[in-house]
Amino acid sequence: MKKMGTKTPGKKVMTAADGQSENKPRREKTTERRTAGARKTGALMAGRERLIVGSVSVGLFILVWQLAVTAHAIDPLFVSSPSRIVMTARDMIGDADFWRDLTVSAQEYFYGYFAAILIGIPIGLLTGWYRRLQYLLGPLIDMMNAVPRVTFLPIIVLWFGIGIWSKFAVVFLGAIIPIIISTYAGVRTNEARFLTVARSFSASQLKIFVSIILPGTVPFIFTGLKYGSGRALLGVVVGELYAATAGLGHMIAEAGNTFQTDVVFFGVLVFTLTGIVITTILDRIERHFERWRPRAGGAA
Amino acid sequence: MTDRPHTAFAFYWRNERTILGLAMILLILLFWEGLSRGWWADLLHPLFGASAEKLRVRPIFISSPTAVARKAYELYFVTGGIWRHLATSGLEIAVGLGAAIIIGIPLGLWAGRNRLASYALEPFMSAFNATPQVALLPLVILWVGTGFACRALIIFMLTILPLLINAHAAVQTVDPRLQRVARSFSSSEWRLFTTIILPSSVPFLLAGLRLAIGRAMVGVVVGELYGSAIGIGIMINKAGVLFQTDTVFVGVFTIVAAGLCLTELVRHIEKRVQIWRPDAAEQSS
Repeated sequence: MKKMGTKTPGKKVMTAADGQSENKPRREKTTERRTAGARKTGALMAGRERLIVGSVSVGLFILVWQLAVTAHAIDPLFVSSPSRIVMTARDMIGDADFWRDLTVSAQEYFYGYFAAILIGIPIGLLTGWYRRLQYLLGPLIDMMNAVPRVTFLPIIVLWFGIGIWSKFAVVFLGAIIPIIISTYAGVRTNEARFLTVARSFSASQLKIFVSIILPGTVPFIFTGLKYGSGRALLGVVVGELYAATAGLGHMIAEAGNTFQTDVVFFGVLVFTLTGIVITTILDRIERHFERWRPRAGGAA
Repeated sequence: MTDRPHTAFAFYWRNERTILGLAMILLILLFWEGLSRGWWADLLHPLFGASAEKLRVRPIFISSPTAVARKAYELYFVTGGIWRHLATSGLEIAVGLGAAIIIGIPLGLWAGRNRLASYALEPFMSAFNATPQVALLPLVILWVGTGFACRALIIFMLTILPLLINAHAAVQTVDPRLQRVARSFSSSEWRLFTTIILPSSVPFLLAGLRLAIGRAMVGVVVGELYGSAIGIGIMINKAGVLFQTDTVFVGVFTIVAAGLCLTELVRHIEKRVQIWRPDAAEQSS
């Protein structure tokens, strides 16, 4: 009786707390449906068309950029050019300074992100499972979610200095909130039927948690992790732009100040690649965890 | 439910969520105030001796709720110094976010309808999405300086993606049955667009807008990292450098309030627009 009563407010908070986790799972569903449709009409053609059109458009973009610079239509001082960026990349990869900056940024990123995962997931699970804990922490988390955590930078720098620890704090704060919110939402949206079945077979709370709640929450956790990784990257960049003595963001800022646009572009590209690689890794891990699930798209 | 004799108890059970939430916030405020006033250091001094002194934090580092409240009152009502910052930042958001809406949503809707356009745009969207766009700040400064244009451009860059991606996704989740019905009644593309695609895209568009508002707040703060004109982010940064922690917190809380208000506004619009929808709960599952 009591449980039924609490179900609805809990759900309401989930959608109210976070717009992000709402659209993501739906989007995944779409791509699934789309690929399922494509498979019927002839998967090979569709797949190839997407690849061809995609690469043509990217190639065209690079070509126009390069030609515009070569033809002196635009000033490479401001926009660089693909060939310059490639040359710079070659130089930088052989440069020890670049690797040092990369190491610093990587440390900030991974320490902060892993700390956020280690603390965020348990908090999300606990607040989802224990109603009262959610009552206590909910307003706080919502409030933190409403602020861009980079706003705290001036204070964080005041507390932790301009070294690696201020960036660690920004990355941690940035990443932990989406992880908590997504995990919480995952626990709350578990299929009520499964719970009823488990209860009627008098499963223990622990058993319910491990065999129903946790597996059902996995996709939500990964949504949170993906958002968190983006926020963490943002934290690294902003933290280093704001105040730093080393790191990729610092490198970009310096290069910008000295009109080395090609170095700026190279730095941004490194960030882009990092973002892509991490999302891909997370996707892989998620797929590994989700293998047991029957294909949702195939059944429909 | 069982009858509870004490009315105070019944009151608690009915409002448990609010009471616990408020209690926690009050507790934190109390702890914060105590840190800056040295209450906890005094309290624990007999127990831990000198190591309790670590709990006495100088107000310059953490300020205190009362100091922040006093400063907020001063900035808003006595000197009124915050209003010009707010006006500038508000204008930046209006221009940046407005441009992102005007360009991002139509582009996304169009790309969602047009398969080739969608394929051509996808690599750019996913690459740009994986990039922390603020890393382009040094470039933006090179292009347009550190003034108003820089902030508006950064906000634009940060907010266009969620709008674009959601608009793109929205079109592709339109129920194909509805489209087929419309087609078999030989509806024009335009008619199909206004009566089926647009209405069913609205929740996605608004979800994108909500995300974009959060990003716009980031943009305000980040875009104002450099430069020395006026704006709420600049107020925060300057105060941070000058160790005026109370002003920093006033700025942070102002941004929180602004973000919450805008998000609430979008939710209100969402409710308004969704009235015709038969069963929202079923739709989302």
